[in-house]
This record gives sequence, C-alpha cells and structure tokens, in this order.
Amino acid sequence: MTYRMGVDIGGTFTDFALIDDTTGELTIHKQLTTPADPSEAVLDGVATLLKRRAVAPAQLGAVIHGSTLVTNAIIERKGAVTGMLVTKGFRDVLDIAMERRYDLYDLTIRFPTPIVARRRRRQIDERLDFSGAVLQPLDAGEVERAAAELVEQEGVRALAICFLHSFVNAGHEEQAREIVARRYPELYVSTSADVFPYAREYERWNTTAMNAFVQPVADRYLGNLEGGLQRLGVKGPLYIMTSSGGTVTTATAKRYPVRMLESGPAAGVLMSAHHGRTLGLSNILSYDMGGTTAKGAIVRGGQPHKTYEIEVARIHHFKEGSGLPAKVPVLDMIEIGSGGGSIAELDDRGVIRVGPQSAGADPGPACYGRGGKRPTLTDADLLLGYLDPDFFLGGKMKLDRAAAETALELGLAKALGVDVTRAAWGIHEVINEDVARAFRVHASEKGFDYRGCSMIAFGGSGPMHALRIARKLRIPRVVLPTGAGVMSAFGMLVSPLSFQIARSNRVGYAELPRERFAELFAGLTREAAAFLLRAGVPQPEIRVTRRLDMRYRGQGYEIEVELPDELDLSAAFERLPQLFGESYARIFSLSYLQEPLEIVNWKVEVQGPTPAMSQHFHLALEHQVGAPEKGRRQAYFPEAGGYVATPVYDRYALRPEVTIGGPALIEENESTCVVGVGDQVTVDAAGNLVTEIAQEQVREAAA
Amino acid sequence: MTERIDPVTLGILWDRLISITNEIVETLVRTSFSSIVRESYDLAVVLFDARGRSLAQGTFCQPVFIGTGPQTMKHVLRYFPPESFGEGDVVITNDVYMGTGHLWDVNLVRPVFRKGRIVGYALTISHLPDIGGRGMSAVNQDIHDEGLQIPLLKLVKAGTLNRELVDLIRKNVRVSEQVIGDILANVTATEVGGRLLLDFMDEYRLEDLAPLADAIVSQSERAMREQIAAIPDGSYRNAIKIEGLDGPIDLACRIDVAGDRLHVDYAGTGPQIRAGINVPLCYTRAMTCFALKCLVLPNIPNNEGSVNPIELSAPDGSILNCRPPAASAARMLVGHFVVPMIFGALADALPHRVQGDPGMMNVLNVVGRRRDGEPFSTLFFSSGGFGALAGLDGMSATPAPANMMCMPAEAWEPMTGMRVIRRNFRIDSGGAGEFRGGLGQEIELRNDTGHPLTVMILGSRTEFPARGMRGAGNGMARVFRINGQPVHAKGRYELQVGDTLLLEDSGAGGYGNPRARAPERIASDLAEGLVSPEAALRDYGFDVRRGRAAAE
Repeated sequence: MTYRMGVDIGGTFTDFALIDDTTGELTIHKQLTTPADPSEAVLDGVATLLKRRAVAPAQLGAVIHGSTLVTNAIIERKGAVTGMLVTKGFRDVLDIAMERRYDLYDLTIRFPTPIVARRRRRQIDERLDFSGAVLQPLDAGEVERAAAELVEQEGVRALAICFLHSFVNAGHEEQAREIVARRYPELYVSTSADVFPYAREYERWNTTAMNAFVQPVADRYLGNLEGGLQRLGVKGPLYIMTSSGGTVTTATAKRYPVRMLESGPAAGVLMSAHHGRTLGLSNILSYDMGGTTAKGAIVRGGQPHKTYEIEVARIHHFKEGSGLPAKVPVLDMIEIGSGGGSIAELDDRGVIRVGPQSAGADPGPACYGRGGKRPTLTDADLLLGYLDPDFFLGGKMKLDRAAAETALELGLAKALGVDVTRAAWGIHEVINEDVARAFRVHASEKGFDYRGCSMIAFGGSGPMHALRIARKLRIPRVVLPTGAGVMSAFGMLVSPLSFQIARSNRVGYAELPRERFAELFAGLTREAAAFLLRAGVPQPEIRVTRRLDMRYRGQGYEIEVELPDELDLSAAFERLPQLFGESYARIFSLSYLQEPLEIVNWKVEVQGPTPAMSQHFHLALEHQVGAPEKGRRQAYFPEAGGYVATPVYDRYALRPEVTIGGPALIEENESTCVVGVGDQVTVDAAGNLVTEIAQEQVREAAA
Repeated sequence: MTERIDPVTLGILWDRLISITNEIVETLVRTSFSSIVRESYDLAVVLFDARGRSLAQGTFCQPVFIGTGPQTMKHVLRYFPPESFGEGDVVITNDVYMGTGHLWDVNLVRPVFRKGRIVGYALTISHLPDIGGRGMSAVNQDIHDEGLQIPLLKLVKAGTLNRELVDLIRKNVRVSEQVIGDILANVTATEVGGRLLLDFMDEYRLEDLAPLADAIVSQSERAMREQIAAIPDGSYRNAIKIEGLDGPIDLACRIDVAGDRLHVDYAGTGPQIRAGINVPLCYTRAMTCFALKCLVLPNIPNNEGSVNPIELSAPDGSILNCRPPAASAARMLVGHFVVPMIFGALADALPHRVQGDPGMMNVLNVVGRRRDGEPFSTLFFSSGGFGALAGLDGMSATPAPANMMCMPAEAWEPMTGMRVIRRNFRIDSGGAGEFRGGLGQEIELRNDTGHPLTVMILGSRTEFPARGMRGAGNGMARVFRINGQPVHAKGRYELQVGDTLLLEDSGAGGYGNPRARAPERIASDLAEGLVSPEAALRDYGFDVRRGRAAAE
C-alpha cells in the first residue's frame, strides 16, 4: 500500500497523478474526459496508469478525486427535479434574491433562473422568531400533503427544507425531515440548518436548494466510482476533494455535494501552498491561467485564505452578481475571464479589452485555422514569438501565423491606427495588467502585502505571463513548478481529510460569559470532529482551527479573527479585543474606535494529518530528451528594443542548477515560459524553475 | 510620458485608475457604520486632475453622483483656489446645491500634493445616517426643518482635524457616533485615494495627469457624441403626472437632438412645493445623464466626458430646479421620475432601447425601540418590478433607477424586533405586454417590538402606476395599508403594538402589444403562478383550457 493517486476531472482532460510514497516518484497521465459518464474516463485512466507503472491495484492506498461534476450540473441544470418546503409567506425568496442590480447602466442584465421552480416550492405553516422560540408550531399534515403533491404530481426526487431562523433552532426542519422520510424513504432531503447554518435566508436557502438539486446525481456518480474501483481490485478508500482544499469521505460528499464546487482549482492552490512550504516560501500569490479563465489566490504564512462565499453559473458576461451564490467553505480565489482563447476587441471607449468572451476550443483562436476570425490572446502570443507554430501542445497542433496576423490587423490594429506588433503587445499587456490589477484589489481587501512575496504560476497560459505580471507587482520571485500541467491532481495528493462548520450566533462580547464561549466552540468542534472520527482519523491527530467573524456593534462589515493555536479558549477569550484590533488594523490600517464588539459567526475547521508526501518528489522520466537548447527564434521584448533572436530551451532537458538569463523561452508540452530581459531562471533539485525578477527592471513595467 | 498618449497605454492607465477608485470605494464601505452606505452603496469616489477634470469614478457608485461629483469639484475650486490649499487639507460640505441635492450626503475633497504642488484631487461622498432636524421625511416644509447645513469648510487643516467643527456636527445629530464615524471614514478614504493616486503616478512615471485627463475626457465625450448623433434629429416630448403631498405634480420634458448635440428642457414642470420632495438642479442633471447613458452608451465608464455633451435647462423655482429654502430630503421621490419620463420621450426614436416604467423602490424610515428597549432608526428598502424591454420580460422585485439591497427577514427581525409576516410576489402586478413588466411584492410587517413605533413612508406610484411602453399595459399601483386601512405614500404614522403595515409594491410597465405575447411565455407564467388564469384571459386572451385567442 505505498501508492496513492490523485484524479482531477476538467472540461477537456481528466488528469491523473500517481505517487510512490516510498521513493517520491510521480507519474502523470492525461486522457479525454467522458462527459456522458465521467466515471468511465476515471476508471479507465486509473487502470491504464497502474498498468503502465506495473502497480497492483491492491497496492493503491487511496484514490483522491476532484470533479467539475457538481459545478457542471448546476451550470447546465442537469440535476434532479427538486422541490422545496418553505416557511409560509416566503415562497419567493429564491426569486427576490438580493434585490440589487449588478450593473447600474445595463438595462438588459438578467438574473439566473432559480434552482427550484416556483411551482415546486410549497409553503408550510410554521414560524420561529429570531431567538428560535416557536411562534407557530409546524403543521405536520401540511408537510405530508405538500410532500405527497411534490413527489406524486411533480415527480420530485430531491427536496430542500428551508425555514426561517432554522440556524438558531433546527427543530421544525428536523421534524419535517422525519415526516417526509417516513413516507418517502427514497427521497433525497437537504435541510438548510444542516447544509449551512448561517443567517440571511436567501443565501442559506439557495445553497440548500443547490445541494438538494445535485444530490441524486452525485450519489449515483460516487456510487459508480466506488463500485468500479472495487471491481478493479482497489482496496484503499476513495476520498473526495472539496472546495475548501480538504478531502472528505464519499459518505460526507453524498450528504453535502455542494461542497464539491470548484474543487479542482482549490487543489491547484493547495499545491501552490505545498510547493511554497517545500521551498521555504510562506507568502505566495498562486496564479493559474488556462484557456478561458485565470484564477488567483493568496497564501499567507503557508495557508491559503479561506472564505464562505462562492458564486457559480454567472450568466451575464461573467459579471459578479449574475450567478448563484453558494455559502460553502472555499479557498478564496479571484477569477478573471481571461485566458488563451479570450477575444480582444475595442470597447465603447475605443481602447483594447480582452475577454471575457472566448473563442473556446471551436473555432478557437484564429491561428488554430478552424475558421476563427477574431483576434485572441493566443494569436497575439504567437505573433510576439512566444509560441512556436510548430510546437504547440508539444507539436500536436500546427498554428497558422498568417491567420493570426490578419485577425489582429482587421480586428484591432487598423481601428487603433497602430501596427500589428503594437496591437499584439497591447493584447499581451492588457492581460498582464488585468491580472495584476485583480491581484492588487484582492490583496488590498485582505490586507496582504504582496511586495516581497513569491508567485507560483501554472496552467497552459500562466508561465507565458507570470514573470511580467510579477514585475508589475514588484514581486521578486516566480516559481514555475514541475508538472504544472496537472497541478490540481498533484494537489489532491497533499490534501488532508478535513471538515468545516460555521454557525451564525450574534452576541455582544461584553455580554458573553467566558464559559458560554468555551461551550459554543466545544459543541461545534464535537460536531465537526465526528466527521473525521467516522473516517477513521484518531482523535489525537485532529487539528482544530477556530475563527470568529467579528465587528464593532453597528458596523456592517465583519472581520475574521483566527484564534491562535497556542492559546487555550479561556486565554483566547481574554485576548479577543486585541486580536480583533490587530485584524482590523491590518485591513483598514487604523483602529480608533471605542465601540463595543460583537461576534457574528463561529467557525470551526478540523483537519486530519496532511499526507506525508516526500519533500523530494520528482517526475518519472518516461522518454528521451535531447540538448537543452533547441534553437533560437525571433521574440518580442520591449526592453531589448523589439524582436530579438531568443534562445529556446527544452524544459525536460534542463538539469538541476542550470541557470538561464533572459530574454529566453523555455518550452514544455503544455506551456511556454517567457523569461524577460534581466530575469534569472534557476532549475532546482525538483525540476522547478525558480526565477529572480531583476529588481531594476521592475519599474519598467509601464506599457 | 509624452503629450499624446497612445491608445494601448491609454486603456491600461484608464482601467488602472478605475480600479483605484473601486478600491477607495471598498475602503469607504468597509469602514463606514451606517447600513445605508453598505446596503445601498449610497456613496461615490471620484479622482480629478489638478484642473478639476474627472479621471475616474467608482464603478458601483449611485448614478446620482455621476452628474454631481464634477460639479461639486468646480464649486470647491471656485471657493478654494489652489494657493489656499496646504498639504493634508480636506474640505467638507453638504450644501444641497453644490453637493448632491440633499443634506444627508457629505462631500469631502482632498488636494493631492506631489513635490510641493497639487497634482489632483480625491472626492468622496457618502450618505449619513442622520443630519439633525426632523428626520428624513417628505413632510418637512423647508430646509431648516431638515437639519444642519455645512457650507464649504476645511474639516482637516494640514493633517489636523478641525475639532470645533466636529463638535458642532456631533451636537446637532442623532446617533452621533455613527455620523462622526462615517465622516471620518470619508477622511480616511480621501487619504487612501491620494496615496493610491501618487503610487499610480510613480509607477507609470507620470509627472502630470493633465494629458491623461484630456485623453479620458475627450475619448469618452467623442464616444458619447457618436451615439447621440445616431439618434434621429428632432424634438421629443413627454409629460407625466406624479403624486405629491396635496395633489398631483406635473413633470414635462423636451429633448432636442441636433447632430451630436442634445438638450433637455424641463419647461412645463410644476413649481416647487412646501414639502421635502423638491429637486435641486444638480440632482435633476444627474438623473438626466443617468437616463441617457443607459439608453445610448451603458458600458462607458463614469467620467465627465460622458455627461459633457448633455445640455440641460429647467425653469427656476420649478420642482426640478428648486430655490432656497426648499426642502429636498426625499428628492428622489420626484427626481427618479426623470428617468422613465426621458425613456418615454425617446420611445419612438430609440424603440429597441427604451423600457417600460419601473415600479420604483420604496423606503420606510422606521424609528422605535427594540424588545430590549434599545432605540433604533433605520431604513427598510423594497423594490417594485423592473420595466420590460424589447425582447425581455421585466425582472421582478428589482430596483430602478436607484440601486440597493434588500433586508433579509433574518436580519431585519433581530435588528428591530418587528416581524416580517410575509414577503411574496404580488401576482398579476406586472404590466401585460408582448414582454411582461416585472412583478412587485407584498410585504407585511407587524410591530412586535412591545413599544409604539414611527414609520415615515417614502413611497410613490399609488395614484399613477408604471406605464407600459409601446402598446403594453401598466403595472399595478402601489398600496400601503395599516391594519387594512389605506394610508398615504408619503405620510408619517404611529404603529401601536400588534399593528400591521402592508406594502403592496407596484409592478412595472410591459413592452409591446400583449396580444403579440408568445403563448409559451403565457403558459410559463401560468405554470409558475405569476399570472392568474383570469388575468391571462383578460389581458392576453389566453384561455387556460383552450389555449390562445379563445376570447378573440
């Protein structure tokens, strides 16, 4: 049992990473995703890779799996027919939503259709007040009648039970669940206090509705996968990656499938943090850019930043606010609608905008030669010489330079009155600026000083832009990790079992007895730890992190305060005002207020041990390599005066301790690293490219 | 940086400036105390060059401030020429004519110094929770009832807070910690703004922002003028009636388009009245610019280039150009109607852009004590329907033309002790049309606080419903009831313990002939229960059992 495998399903490819935990040797594998039944590609790939490395299925200690299944089911609305029981008088909470326009001037904005159709939402006579006291007892007969109608007339297979103030008192929701389960034991039921015990009905109910909607799909899929792995002879457990960067058992994933949203990108961030720890870098910007989107995250003190908010299925030009909010524990990521396929055009002002519209895979960028006419980032990167028309995807695809040139000329350069090179550089720089700007804003919101930190970049388009973005941000070091093409599958191998619980309970600090503070946390910790104990994690190995959302009374914004590990609860309670003050000052750079403090939300995270992954893991070399320098080609570097003959290196042939000075291009199958003038790249022992960004060059970042 | 900025660089610098203003907005929101700022984003941030020309403005600011910010800056420069400013100064005003049209908004301006000279200015605006006087209500008779007026004054001199002024304000307002806290949040935000502007200049090695301001303003103005030129030349008119306090008010406009010039004149609009719903011209201008920007160029960023091409006039002393001592607390109750009036005027010129009238938002200003005896004073916002457009049904319960967020029952109940008995769609309230207007909602609140409380209603559309566009039907009018009895949309009422207030928010106007509505849209509305079978038969001639056109 010395092997483990990470499997990440993406839109196009399913990635596999197999590690031999005794030697640290990693083998990767990629194959096409099978959208109709994604478990097919997974099972096939697991068998293929095991066979290739001559590993017996019984030697596989665990399979850790992340999937876009849940995200896709919500985007494509391919969940189950779902019904909802709600407090009488509140049938339209899912439609009324936030009552806020996300664009002030665009009259054509739309909001997503609610997950549960209005005709399948039934009102139940029951009511609690905000303290949890019963104002109107639950009408059991009404619950039974409503469930019967939904199941028998509407064909509902999943049910969300959502009552007001249930996060204070879950009694009515639980009673309703029991009534429904007695009559329809096969019905999938989610209650809002169980899925997300937070105040604010719209977000809680919407999250619960999504959970119910995907539950039957997730249940079937995970069942297939477990069965399939057993048939292959795999004896180790299947763990499921969640959006928080931790893994859970399949039983937990089936109960809270909504927690699987965006688990692939979360695994990528987790791997960045892991690389950082291995390399002794504790503050990191993780930057991932692929074909349609770029994602960024902050890692502070070795830990990715966590939050409880994610928006999925945006329907109007990727705009924030045009999707469905889910309140689940997630790694805090920024998403930018720009990638290789992003289309460049002039906006209403007459300046270049790149994305969020994408040429996708079909027709794709103009240079794919499949009929795409509009200029994209990939076209610009080709014209700038960063991409080799004969070595795209390791030579699997030829790029058409003339088509790219025509698209840029007609689509942009002509209207701007500049030449094609200037337009191409404009597209490249606009993307760099967009990403840098998004990082700046995100860092400022989190009170994170990125100057002096390191960037870890991956994804198909990441290494082409990372070094220049780092210059703009005055970041001195960029790491391009080895095997960056399967970063998420790697990340799954370093993900611990974990579970998070968060509960709203608004209480004034001055009015809170110390014992009550300890009791509340103890209760939440027991609840969360039960998930790990059931998964077989021994109690002493469970690590607990406690966080509070706090604010000055009367202020609308909560600040997260993490209780230091080394303090017991009583000491932490004493220190709370000071801890809050420090967090407040970090974000607002001031703390002058004498107002009383208030605790709003209580959060507990429990973690099992992080899998012991060898510090010196390395990729298995499965093919022959030639000379490090493959040749030279003309590439554009403004600091060098324009196009210069630039050396091109084969990343697979670079040995540790090799140093390369920019300008240079370093190619691998999935990506090309563009090394700017004055930058110094060193290959480390694990094969990572570690780049020092020339400091005196940093201020040249302006366009 | 050379004199002329090339188009590639311009886009990069411009977007960066907008991002900086958004960052300042976030600082302002997160450090502010009042729920008004954070729930409704009733605030603005603008950066200017040394000559007071706007460079960029926060993306999510209220539309009203797009028009007022640059005007406020001009007043500041008139009163405080550059030589009268020192480093670390900040000026403040809530003057209704120089600022935003009512006393609740404070405007703060800080000159930004670099190497000893002013290179730009940072302006922030936010809506204070209180400004003294008799409270934010429509029933005040003149501005002296409404609260404290702060002329243009230095709030901070060379980095030192003017304590006398702060004490004066503190003495004149309710919830003074929140008011002073919010004013200081603005001081901080202008400081952050100045710092970010200097970083920006360092980073891109700019000695002077003027060439950038030239490019931004002129490019925006050119884009706007091109769109205006695309409107057929002509004179377009509209006149509407809206409810006042003692009888209806007339609003009228004439829009003259000639080439790339556009002039809006409000002749025919009724006189100002002795109630807090008069509109200073700065607010009328803001709403006018907002309406036109939505119609012709919604995606261009906010700056004065996008409003320069719009000329405007309104009769002196009219309700859209009031004179002191007019009261103007609830200026939005009249000013917001400028937007649908302009849409209506341009319905024939821009048929595929205009929208059915919105149901408008409603505000309840509620003052009382919670169950535990703690006093509260807060606002309850709710929205009517959003107007239908060519090709799009109107969204239900969506604010327009202002923007804000709703208050969840689970937040409102603990904050006030009032109970939300129900909050559902108001069936059949959306105006019938080929594209249906958005629905309003029914909200019932009960005083469960254990104490009497006061409700000041700031509502509209109880007499004049949202009109349909191009042959469509009207939305249902708004209704307010206390214990079942209708009450006035701009009144002030006591709610005794156990009393209920029912608000039936107005639906929006539809778009196009209802008989042209696609049967599958009607069927879907019926299945989802948004339209009743009776209304389907009456408005669309759609018989539930026999399908289309049974009644024709």
